Amino acid sequence: MRMMKLAFLNFKSNFKNYLSLVISLAFTILIFLNFQNVVYSDALDVLGTQNKNYVDILIQVISLVLGCFMFFFIWYSTNVFLTKRKREIGIYVFMGLSNQRIAKLYMIETTLIGLSALFLGIFFGILTTGLFQMVLLALSDIAVDISFRFTLPPIFITAGVYLAVYLLFVLKGYFNIVRSSVLNMITGTRQNEYIRQKVAILWLKSVLGIGVLGLGFYMAVKEGGQEVMGNAFAAVALVIAGVYLLFGGLIPLIFQGLAKNKHFLYCKQRCLWINNVIFRMKKNYRTYAMVCILVLCSVTALATGFAMKYRYDNMLHFENTYTFQLVSNQPDPDEQARELIEKKSKIAYSTRIKILALDGTLVHANVNYGQYAVVAYTELKKLAADAHLEFDLEEPADDEVIRASHLYLLSLITDRSRIQLDINGKTYRQTEEVNVPYLGYLQEQMSFYVVNDEEYEKLLPLGKELYTYNYRIENLNAFEEARALLDELVSDTEENYTGRIAVNPQRGDKDWIKVLYSLCIFMFMVFILASGSIMFMKLYNDAFEEKERYLVMKKMGFEERTLLKSIARELGTAYAVPFAVMLIASYFSVHALEKMMYTSLWSIHLVSVLVVFVIFLICYLLSVTMYKRNVGI
Amino acid sequence: MNDNKVVEIKNLVKNYGTKEIQTKALKGIDLTIYQNDFIAIMGPSGSGKTTLLNILSTIDKPTLGSVVLDGRDITRIANKELSKLRRDKIGFIFQDYNLLDTMTLQDNIALPLSLNGVSSKECIGKTEVLATVFGLKDHLKKYPYQLSGGQKQRGAACRALITDPEIIFADEPTGALDSKSGRELLECLRNVNEGKKATILMVTHDPFCASYARDVYILSDGRIKCKVSRGTDRKEFYDRIIDVQTSMGGDLTCE
Repeated sequence: MRMMKLAFLNFKSNFKNYLSLVISLAFTILIFLNFQNVVYSDALDVLGTQNKNYVDILIQVISLVLGCFMFFFIWYSTNVFLTKRKREIGIYVFMGLSNQRIAKLYMIETTLIGLSALFLGIFFGILTTGLFQMVLLALSDIAVDISFRFTLPPIFITAGVYLAVYLLFVLKGYFNIVRSSVLNMITGTRQNEYIRQKVAILWLKSVLGIGVLGLGFYMAVKEGGQEVMGNAFAAVALVIAGVYLLFGGLIPLIFQGLAKNKHFLYCKQRCLWINNVIFRMKKNYRTYAMVCILVLCSVTALATGFAMKYRYDNMLHFENTYTFQLVSNQPDPDEQARELIEKKSKIAYSTRIKILALDGTLVHANVNYGQYAVVAYTELKKLAADAHLEFDLEEPADDEVIRASHLYLLSLITDRSRIQLDINGKTYRQTEEVNVPYLGYLQEQMSFYVVNDEEYEKLLPLGKELYTYNYRIENLNAFEEARALLDELVSDTEENYTGRIAVNPQRGDKDWIKVLYSLCIFMFMVFILASGSIMFMKLYNDAFEEKERYLVMKKMGFEERTLLKSIARELGTAYAVPFAVMLIASYFSVHALEKMMYTSLWSIHLVSVLVVFVIFLICYLLSVTMYKRNVGI
Repeated sequence: MNDNKVVEIKNLVKNYGTKEIQTKALKGIDLTIYQNDFIAIMGPSGSGKTTLLNILSTIDKPTLGSVVLDGRDITRIANKELSKLRRDKIGFIFQDYNLLDTMTLQDNIALPLSLNGVSSKECIGKTEVLATVFGLKDHLKKYPYQLSGGQKQRGAACRALITDPEIIFADEPTGALDSKSGRELLECLRNVNEGKKATILMVTHDPFCASYARDVYILSDGRIKCKVSRGTDRKEFYDRIIDVQTSMGGDLTCE
């Protein structure tokens, strides 16, 4: 019982010191809880089962990422508790406490810290769930009335995951103390030795780091077919490893090189801050690397979000090119269809084209699948003019085809050269691929190839020629009624085969993409805030260690202004180096994304980098103020 | 002895505590330090040694009296000016070395000069000259944790000297050193004092350490009780200091 009391008193007196860590932990719990709650709440039910399932899968994936993040975060913060306490713990040794009892004391105390973080996280988590869902849906452009309703399972899951990880690390700390020697504990915080690492090891790490990172970048932007997915995973692993090696090797090497050049070093505050950076880098390089990777993730998440949004809008636009499409072996349902539609709404524009549906067994393609159809070049040109669609295709040669493709949300196949099509023994080379919705929704359902007019005639015996009539109505509200009328044209007999495609312009079957977009924005915020706060906390702790050093310097009469400048440069470097590495790495990650999504993302990239910059700048300014206070200037 | 006054202390009084319970740490000290002096202040615990040094090094303010350094009363100038004064006119040697463990010995020595904006060439030149004088030439690339206590303290002395200060304040410089290292340091300091004309004020409770100085002031109960000056022989000076201590009650070494 006494142990309990002592631990509680320790906890109470140290709570202020650990407040920043507790708040960060609570924040992680809050985010995790909010995401879990989305899965269990009925707010997204409006999207329909299909969409809801997609979103739930997405959220579970994100929860997994957050879980990993929580894992590292707890690891990091319990480490901070441990090193901070070890010095004080040393004193207990002299008071005659056994290692086991000290470890128990540590365990109780750390558990109390963990529980208070859990309590805070859950409490504010519950308070913010409504807000979170509201923002999520508002960002996703989905209108629902949100009722504040809270279920228990998300709390249990969140608390369960958190406690499991937390207790694991508390136990790790327990065994760490039990097994450490008295000497170790007393000097626990004075491990300032071996500031300069062996140059050979640094060189090895640098070369390895650059190599691994380079390979990662290459993998990320390498064009390929089905193997792109594997490449992407390899790229992620390689970039993470490369960044760690870079921070453990090249960056210390550069700074040590600078410090060795005394002509460079002895220039105002440089002597002070460069040496400090080297000293800190040795201890903190893992943190810097982690921050760098987190920021990289955040920039990539934002780019993904925007790319998804852009893609979604385009896909919608693509599918909505026509409201109704008729496919028929009869040349004449056009008149009837027009009459029927115009009873309900004016026709904004309409097009017609003959397509040749090929016998599937005669076609062999190395990438595409599904039903194959060809259209004649001149016919398509006319259609484009009718529908006011862009058309700048060259007429293909006799052995060439142009693929009229559709928009993919995400394509893994980035290498589009050397695609060939084999029709009844003749090989055609695909010269181009266009994403203009000439045939609207139909273009998504079939693989269309454009051939020149003579080739079209030659191919006629190999398939069945069909007429397609496409209409876009003006009054979108008349959709249901017009569709009902058109149903009378549908026929499925040997002599008259007529099919009808109706695309509801107001449907919501791809709403999950919109949710994905807002989730990406959330991930961006979470990652960026996490990296900012990790950096801040790290410097916060460092400042305590630096206190004595700055006291000496003040005693020696170094001016405050000079010391402040030195601090500003040192902290500036701490923020700038991860930022710079992220800048290079994100270029490649965004570039890879651009290729998979066929979208130019440079503006999004620029914006997200700027947002990161601004947040880092704020953290930096806060850090400098805090540092100044903590070191007592 | 020349007449160049470096520090002039007049009627220095320092009281601690509230009006009811007042401790008088210094009860009126008068002392003039001339250029090229090597002074040791001795005294038992609580005699006011540290208080005096703190006031001289502008860390503390006196209740009464004045300290004139470089023509200005340092008890009356603004904080900003003070740090400039500390930086340019005063060098410090602390009992526990206070070298920065983040940088090499050379960087430690060069730091004050470099912060003052002196060119790197001069910084490098001066560190090498001083390191040679203090026998540290081979250790410049080492970090403090790789050095012995004596080497560290000699390094700290180099750092204090590099800006060519008007005066060096040394607070128990041999306090953490073994006798051999202490002797080495004191010999270096004496050499610098004799050769380079550095002015040194050293606070110590160790008569052996004090015997390296030229004048020893013995402080007791907040007042300077007596002054012992060195003749030609250090050994004889040491004996005389011991004699004075014994005649005063002999509790000087009880610290």
